[in-house]
This record gives sequence, C-alpha cells and structure tokens, in this order.
Amino acid sequence: MLRLIAQRLQSWLNLPGETGAVLPALAVMLGAALLAFVFIAFFAGPVTWWERRVAGRVMSRIGPNRVGPQGVLQWLADGLKSFLKEDIVPAAADRPLFLFAPYLFFGGYMATFVVLPFGAHLVATDLSVGLLYLIAISGLVVVGILMAGWGSNNKWALFGGIRSAAQLVSYEIPSAFSLLAVVLATGTLSMQGIVRAQGGWPWEWLLFRNPLLFGMFFVSFAASLAENNRTPFDLPEGESELVAGYHVEYSGMRFLWFMFAEWGNLWVIASLATVGFLGGWQIPGVRPEVIDQSTGWAFAGWQALSFLVFAGKASMLVLFAIQIRWTLPRLRVDQMMIVCWKYLVPLALLGSAGVLVLVALVPEGSPVDWFLRAVSLGLGLWLIIAYVRKARAAYLADREPYRRLEGKDPWYPPYRLP
Amino acid sequence: MTGTVPTLAFWGLALLTIAGAAGVALSGHMVRSAFSLFAALFGMAGIYALLQADLMAVVQLLVYVGGISVLVLFAVMLTSGIGRVGTDNPSHRPIGGLLVLLAVLIPALGLAFRMPLGIESPADPTVAPIGDALLGRFVLPFEVVSVLLLAALVGAVNLARGWRRDPEERPSEEGR
Amino acid sequence: MVSALPPAVTPGNPGGVRGWVGHIVRTASSILEGLAVTLSWAFRRPYTIQYPDKVEVPVPETLPEAYRGILEVDLRLCTGCLQCEKTCPIQCISISIEKGEDAVRRLTRFDIDISRCMYCGLCSESCAFDALAHSNQFEAARQDISELTLHFVREPVPVARHKAGEAPPRRPRGEILREVLPGLGPVMSPPARDRRAGQGDPSSGEGKP
Repeated sequence: MLRLIAQRLQSWLNLPGETGAVLPALAVMLGAALLAFVFIAFFAGPVTWWERRVAGRVMSRIGPNRVGPQGVLQWLADGLKSFLKEDIVPAAADRPLFLFAPYLFFGGYMATFVVLPFGAHLVATDLSVGLLYLIAISGLVVVGILMAGWGSNNKWALFGGIRSAAQLVSYEIPSAFSLLAVVLATGTLSMQGIVRAQGGWPWEWLLFRNPLLFGMFFVSFAASLAENNRTPFDLPEGESELVAGYHVEYSGMRFLWFMFAEWGNLWVIASLATVGFLGGWQIPGVRPEVIDQSTGWAFAGWQALSFLVFAGKASMLVLFAIQIRWTLPRLRVDQMMIVCWKYLVPLALLGSAGVLVLVALVPEGSPVDWFLRAVSLGLGLWLIIAYVRKARAAYLADREPYRRLEGKDPWYPPYRLP
Repeated sequence: MTGTVPTLAFWGLALLTIAGAAGVALSGHMVRSAFSLFAALFGMAGIYALLQADLMAVVQLLVYVGGISVLVLFAVMLTSGIGRVGTDNPSHRPIGGLLVLLAVLIPALGLAFRMPLGIESPADPTVAPIGDALLGRFVLPFEVVSVLLLAALVGAVNLARGWRRDPEERPSEEGR
Repeated sequence: MVSALPPAVTPGNPGGVRGWVGHIVRTASSILEGLAVTLSWAFRRPYTIQYPDKVEVPVPETLPEAYRGILEVDLRLCTGCLQCEKTCPIQCISISIEKGEDAVRRLTRFDIDISRCMYCGLCSESCAFDALAHSNQFEAARQDISELTLHFVREPVPVARHKAGEAPPRRPRGEILREVLPGLGPVMSPPARDRRAGQGDPSSGEGKP
C-alpha cells in the first residue's frame, strides 16, 4: 500500500528514476508515521478520559466532567499541562539512557502499527510474517522499560523495569502459543490472511470456530494484558509498592510518551484479539472479493465501512479491558508467575495442540465442524446471558436497601443515593 | 538490493549495527554495553529485512532482540555492583588484538567478496519453504536440536531445584 | 521464596488435575462475578455530589444546629461586656468601646479575625445574651488574608441595655455574616428552599442519628 502511494507520488511529481524515488519514499514514510502518531494521539487521549469515566462509574463517582461537554476534552488539558511541565533529569541518572528510553518505548509500540490491518486494504504493509512480527515487536518494548528503569537510577524504577522484563519474558510464551492456535487454524502468519480466513458473521469468526479456540481467546487476551502491563498485571508500576515503577522519575513530555504508549497499547491488544479471533474488519454478508474488485468511491466506501467494523470490535475489547482493570485487584509477583506458568502455559499448550488435532481431523464445512461452531457459539451466548443475569442480580441486590432510604432525608450529605 | 532507498536504508542500518557493536566493545559500563548489544542486534534484524529474509528478520527480532538481549540486560541489572565491574581485558596487547582482528576479518571479507551481492527481485515469502524444509528434509536435525534443548531445559530445572535440596528445609508444599 | 507460595491444595479443593481445573473454573467464575458487579454500577446514579456548584441545597443549609461556622455578632444584643474578648484563647476578637459626651457607651470596633479563629466556641459559650454565635457558613476562602478580618461595626452603635429574656429575636443564621463578608457561597434559591421545606427542615433535627 505504502509502496504504491510512493510510486504514484513519484510519477505525479515527475521525478526521475532511482534517485527520484528517495524523496517520495521519505515523504510517504514520514506521512505514515505522522498518521500513526495522530491516530495514537487521538485514540490514547480520549481513551484516558473514557477510562477515568468508566472507573468513576465503577466506583460510583462521576469522573472528569469539567473540561468540555462531559469532560471529553480533559485529555487535552492534561496533555497541555504535561507539555508545559519542566523536563526533570535526575542528577544521578544515566543521562543518555534516561533521555532515550521514552522514545524507544513509544517507537517500539508505534512499530506495531505497521502490520495492524485497520480495514480491508488499510494496512501499512501486509508482511507475510505479520503476526510473528507483532509478537517480536511487543517484546522489544520491554527494552525501553528496562532502559527507563536503569537510567533513572532509582531503586523503584529499577524494580519496575526488572519486573516488567520478567513478566514479559514469561507471558510471551502463553501469548505466542495461543496465537499459534490461530495460525494453525488459518494456516498463515499474515495479518490480512488471518482476517480473510474468517468471515463477517460471528459463526465464521475463529472465536466460535470450536470450543478450544473459544478458550484460547481468553488465554491470549489475558497474556497480552500481562505483556502490556495492564491491570491486573501492572506490577511494574504498582503504585502501592513502587510509587510508579519505571516511569517514577519522568516528568513533563517524557512522562507523556510513556502514557501515550500505555494507552495506545490498549488499541494494540484489542486489535490483535480482533484480528486473531473476532474476524477483523470482515463486514457481515460481504465477501472480501467484493471489496477487492470494487473501484473508485465504492472502494473507498468499503474501506471506511470495514474500518468502522474493525474499530467497533476493537473498541468493545478496549472497554472490556478497561472494565477488567477496574474490577480485578493487582496480582502479587508470585501469583503473577503462578498464573503464567501453572495455568496459562499449560492451557495454551493443550489448547494449541487440541486445535491442531481438530484442524487436522475436522474439514471445514463438515457436520462436525458445524456442530463445533454451534457448541462454541452456544458457549458464548451462555456466557453473555450469565453475565447479564449476574449483573442484574447484583443491581437488584443493592436496590432494595437504597430504596428503603429514599424519601428519608439524611441531615448530612449524601442527598444522592445510587 | 537495488535502488537508492534500500541503499540508504542499508547504510543507516549498517551504521547502527557497527555503532552498536563498537558500543558493546568500547563502553565502560556493562549496562551500556548490553544496551549497545541490543542496538547491534536490532540493526542486524533490519539488514535481514532488507535482504527480503522476512522470517529471519522477525526471528532475529523475536529471539535475539526481544529474548536474548532482554535476558542479558536482566542478568546484568540483577548483578550487584555491576557498575564497578572492570570491562578492560588485562591480557590485551595491540599486537594480539590486531592478530585476532585479521584472523577474523580476512576470511570474512574474502567470503563477502566472493558472494554474489544483491538480490534481483523481491523474493517470495520464506516462511512456508523454511517450514517445509524443517519438517521435511531436515526433520532429523530439527528433532535432534529439539532433544538437545529439552535436555538443557530439564538440566536447568534440575539445577534450579538442587538449590532447595536442603535437609533442614521442610518439604515444600508447592509442586504437583 | 518457596514457602511464600500458596499451597496448591486449598480447603475444598481436591488437588491434582481436578484441583487444577477447579482453580481455573473458580477463577473464571469469580472474574465473571466481579465484572457483573462493576457492570451493575454502570446503571446506577453516581453517589457524587458536585460541590460547590451543582448541589441541590447549599451545604450550609444542611449543617446541624450545633455546627460551629464563622462567628457572627448581632450588635443589637451585644452589651459590650467584653467576656468574649477575654475568653478567646488566641485573641482574635478585639472590641473597643467609647463613652461619648452623652454618657452612652458605644461600640466603635468589633473585629473578629476569622483567619486566626480556631472555632473552639468558647466565646459564644461565654456570651450571656447570645449576641456572639457561630453561623452555619464556612466557605470563606479569599485572595487576601486581610479580607478575613470581619468588621462588624460600621458606625458606632450604643451597647444594648436589656435583661436576658427580653432580647429581640435573633436574625437567621448567617444573615449578618453575609453583610460583613461579601461573596459567601450560593444563596438558596426559593424553589429549592420550598422543596426542602416540604421534605422537612434538615436543620430542625429530624433524621439526626
């Protein structure tokens, strides 16, 4: 896609051959990087606000609601504030490492955007080893964390960095094995290939392909939450023991880079799960060939629609990750390791082996295949129904006591009852 | 590897690799050396990618950059007093160093100049052929390597457990 | 480190493979339970009261009778006995009384420095005629600390000469304070006051624990 744009640009500008290709190529690279950056900024920013609003509601608070309507511009205010803050470098810090770490962290995270397919043809480059690349790059980010941890010359920061490294090295295994199940089921490592191997309707998703893949989705999601240091696995920055972990010494814009990457990572987690299990950008009822063969405005329209489908699915997963964050307490270090090595690793191994067997034995479209799909779809429905019923029960359980208090006027605030 | 853009990219990556390698050797601090190693390995991955060896590049990223270099950093940072560890090799002498350099450099350069440079056209994805080769023609070496790694793994677990085999300690509750 | 690990076999868990599966099932169901609880809160009204601008009733109106807010003096009641000035442990009250040519004692100064006042209530206890009392106001943040010295005497007023029990009724709490300390918190709007009155006056003591 990018190469195509660069070639178009070159012919349009009428630049000569080989040396003339440099300028458009650089321009396209810069443009793509800028686009990714703008996307991250416009995703990560509002998501911080959204996360705080969700957190507020979970805790029966309101959350930030003063800047702009309902506080939607809070992230701009926060960003501006951080931007204007002094950039403090501790006197005893390892200066080059300290200064470079945020950029490595953020750059490593931005590199994942190269292979994320946002829509039918909206992908920077569809590497044939896209999924492997994504796994590899997410392992690279931890070097930035280690660098920040060491460069700060602060024991809390160093603890944070080392915890992060230990966590990442451990959780890479279940993550990779659960994604291996995806690769086994689709037979390709390319992100677009994985999406195209699925379909638009839920029963065509890998999630509902068979019960094992249904389980692998949760293993994969948990492992990628842990890889990206999201709660309940945010030990590297556990504020109760490490103040803020690896970014404890950072301030101003450098701190903001960490925050950017942290919330931007949410998008990567969600996209990976969407691509791997939820059918990616596939529009229900539309074959991808239709999109490929369309031209002109229809093509653009399909791209926009597929992006909306993708963004919708990914946003739901982002919301899910946020809700998990405000529901579950942080694990202890040993618990974190137990969850990985005693539960997720065996589950991922068994699951991927099972998927291999199922893929080898059950041809697609056979009655057994449809039976497996029906079973996993039923599992999903049952889970959702159980979830809603439990939520309703929790709501009703508290409503009676509150209702009894209604009308009575406590002399001291609160006036408002939940 | 034709065209100006790949050439420019190559020089950039080569510079990164060599600077990283020089940093590993010349840095006065172990941790900085470890980070330089990271840069050198990353540059290598970039060069692989430039040579259209997509699987190699990603595996380099995954195993060396993401795995080995993180492990090295991890080990270096956990070592107490790493800042005071001397990085000078006391046995080095200019002549000895030069000899070693020549001994490595001459065969390497000879090999490099005899190899045909550059690839004419974008190569096909290499994942499938490598997978086929590993599980077809080279299945025996592949399995032997797996057994070796398994043995190493079991040995490591045994070594790690050996530390706890202490008569004073009460029987551990975990496990099973 | 090993002993810190929790045992694989917990009460009610058989251990072994069945125990392992049991742990997973228990974890999954408890996570689901937790998510359901947090989801249920999304459908409820937040508990928060957005003080100070979005309160249904100004907070001072809700405070109990005995609340010790900023001091206020009703000069119609003050006999100029100086008891409060003497009792104040930190001397934040200063009173001057002058006797004019007509032999009438007049209060020329009654200042209270509420930036120093610690709201101990000793002065209002010692006031025999309830002239000095705590209001229900507390929102007195100001840019300049000198604004917090309240001057209750605008022009000299003759001290009150009355027996206890014959005194004119006190003005509503906070009304005098509002005159000497401009810009106090929001005044209760009539509709809110009516609604409030319909539910029973909170300061009347109903519903006190």
